[in-house]
Amino acid sequence: MGTVFVIALRNLAQGGRRTILLGLALALVTLLLVLLDALAAGLESSMLRSATTLSSGHVNVGGFFKVSSGQASPTVAEGARVRQIIEREVAGQDYVIDRLRGWARAVSETGSSWFALAGVDIREERGLKEVLQIVEGRLEDLGQPNTVMLFEAQAKRLESKIGDSITLSAPTMGGVNNTVDVRVVAIARDVGWMSAISLFMPKDTVRNLYQMRPEATGAVQIYLKDPERGAEVIEKLKPVLESEGFRLMESDPRPFWMKFETVAGQDWVNQKLDLTTWKEEVSFLLWILTGFNALRWSLLGVLLVVIVVGIMNAMFMSIRERTREIGTMRAIGMSRGAVQRMFLVEASSLGVIAALIGALCGVGTALLVNAAHIKIPNEAFQAILMNDVLLLALKPMNVVVAVLVITFVTCLAAFAPARRAARLRPIGALHQVG
Amino acid sequence: MKARAFIALIVFLAAVALPMAAFAQMTPEQMKAMLERVDDRQRNSGDYKALAYIEQREKNKNDVFFETVFYRRDNSEQFLILFLKPRTEAGKGYLRIEKNLWMYDPATGKWERRTERERIGGTNSRSQDFDPLYLARDFTHEYVGSEKLGNFDVHHLKLKAKPGAKASDPLIEMWIDKVTENTLKQQDFALSGRLMRTSYYPKWDKVFSEVKKAEVYYPKEIRIFDEVEKENRTTVLIDSIDLRPLEPNVFTKAWLEAKSR
Repeated sequence: MGTVFVIALRNLAQGGRRTILLGLALALVTLLLVLLDALAAGLESSMLRSATTLSSGHVNVGGFFKVSSGQASPTVAEGARVRQIIEREVAGQDYVIDRLRGWARAVSETGSSWFALAGVDIREERGLKEVLQIVEGRLEDLGQPNTVMLFEAQAKRLESKIGDSITLSAPTMGGVNNTVDVRVVAIARDVGWMSAISLFMPKDTVRNLYQMRPEATGAVQIYLKDPERGAEVIEKLKPVLESEGFRLMESDPRPFWMKFETVAGQDWVNQKLDLTTWKEEVSFLLWILTGFNALRWSLLGVLLVVIVVGIMNAMFMSIRERTREIGTMRAIGMSRGAVQRMFLVEASSLGVIAALIGALCGVGTALLVNAAHIKIPNEAFQAILMNDVLLLALKPMNVVVAVLVITFVTCLAAFAPARRAARLRPIGALHQVG
Repeated sequence: MKARAFIALIVFLAAVALPMAAFAQMTPEQMKAMLERVDDRQRNSGDYKALAYIEQREKNKNDVFFETVFYRRDNSEQFLILFLKPRTEAGKGYLRIEKNLWMYDPATGKWERRTERERIGGTNSRSQDFDPLYLARDFTHEYVGSEKLGNFDVHHLKLKAKPGAKASDPLIEMWIDKVTENTLKQQDFALSGRLMRTSYYPKWDKVFSEVKKAEVYYPKEIRIFDEVEKENRTTVLIDSIDLRPLEPNVFTKAWLEAKSR
């Protein structure tokens, strides 16, 4: 086997320009595979970060309160009690918060827009403090009454700066219009597309706007040490909440704001709780990930076909050029299997070396891109990539898989030419001219 | 002599001013009676159909113009408004069924539940601009004073919506012409007390109703100013009032869907 390996490497070296070009192509495809994997992982990571910072915990216990059957409000009337139960019952929790939810028109001196409101107690918002980068003002000032934090894009849209006043206008739970004037105390860097629609303010401000009771909240958000345990936590929590006398909504894997119409059309009143995971709360965005993955695999599929054709062509040419050599080796006793192995080892050696070089270049490029904090200039691309900065999240396992896939494909492509080489009759091969 | 003349003057002024003051400060009964008249004169005992032209002006946006037709059955508080123009909006409509306002979009073929606060076609107009509120029945009243509004002598009233009323704003101030009892100005306030919009009613007209055997009054023009986004305003022109009976099934989803096909 060692001899076969040495011969294979020597043949690769003798291949010269052909080996270099083929290796380069394999390295480029590996690099592309690594970068696209990193981009997909970055997209998922941005989505998780945006979702769990701005609108969702890993698990959410929200729900709707209906004064009449046709009117639904995203409120948990006994929010304080629900939170106590969760803090007592959920194992593996990192921390628990609760936020009020709303939808209101914000009007500044020069513009207006509709926003999703999040009423928060900034002292307990660990995740928010960790993720948000404040560019102006102080996040802690959200502890003061009637204040608001804007994201950069929102501040630009409303032409507002620190200290400016903004009017929030929305109907109360009783169905009449109400307003609250809030003061801008902090401006944060955008956290992807979702930050364009989320406004953060103290809980009491949202309560005043909607005329809600102090114990009411919008949703209790549970952050787990292992976010993947969300579905399991929900299954354990459901019977506990039911035994405490709460009615639960049927499982519906959509974000809460897409359920208004369905809930308003249902024939029940008062409270029902709704348990969701973060993936369900951002399910409306998962098409981006699905679409991106489909595009990624289509592109890679085409490239791999090109590579396979290239390798087969190069190998057939190599066999043709080395027919006499193959004949000689067969004549001095090399078996058909050894000839086949020699060509397969040659191809897989090329594949491994090129894929490793490509993977290393890919890792280096990803690290450089992340270090450069490249700002995505176009809002549409920001929306698609869920981030205002290009993020490539490297996962070691993905890099290893990329190297293995390229090596395997190279080996597979070499199989038919290697088999053909092995089938050459020694006498015929030795008589081959040219 | 001078003292006598002064006393006589005081007595005279008191004799004139006291009844005027009494008139200026309407009693709750007088106010309610006046608001009942204001409510009644805008309603027909039977059906009501009219064209409404709505123009919306907003800062940094193109002006929007809608031609609509609206239908009312005042006895049962039924209301429907159907968009005729522009072509992109034609067939869209709002229908009140009991206490719910439903919006139909022919592009999707779906009905969506809305509230009385709904801005008709995204403008500053609401259903109450086409189907007046019940001021006497649904509000508590406070007399602010007798005032001048331009050349008109007006009653200035403050109205507060009773629980369950379909009013979108819980507080209203109205300026009602003392002579004609037409509303000339209305301001809507949010629960916080913030002024949300001001409406002016510069032109009123009337048509005779065979069913009611009396005149039905309507504002030919309403100018609505958004007081939150100061540069937004809406003008509503109401025309071609028709008080003949409507088809019985007008106020149904099926009728509106059929109209939009």
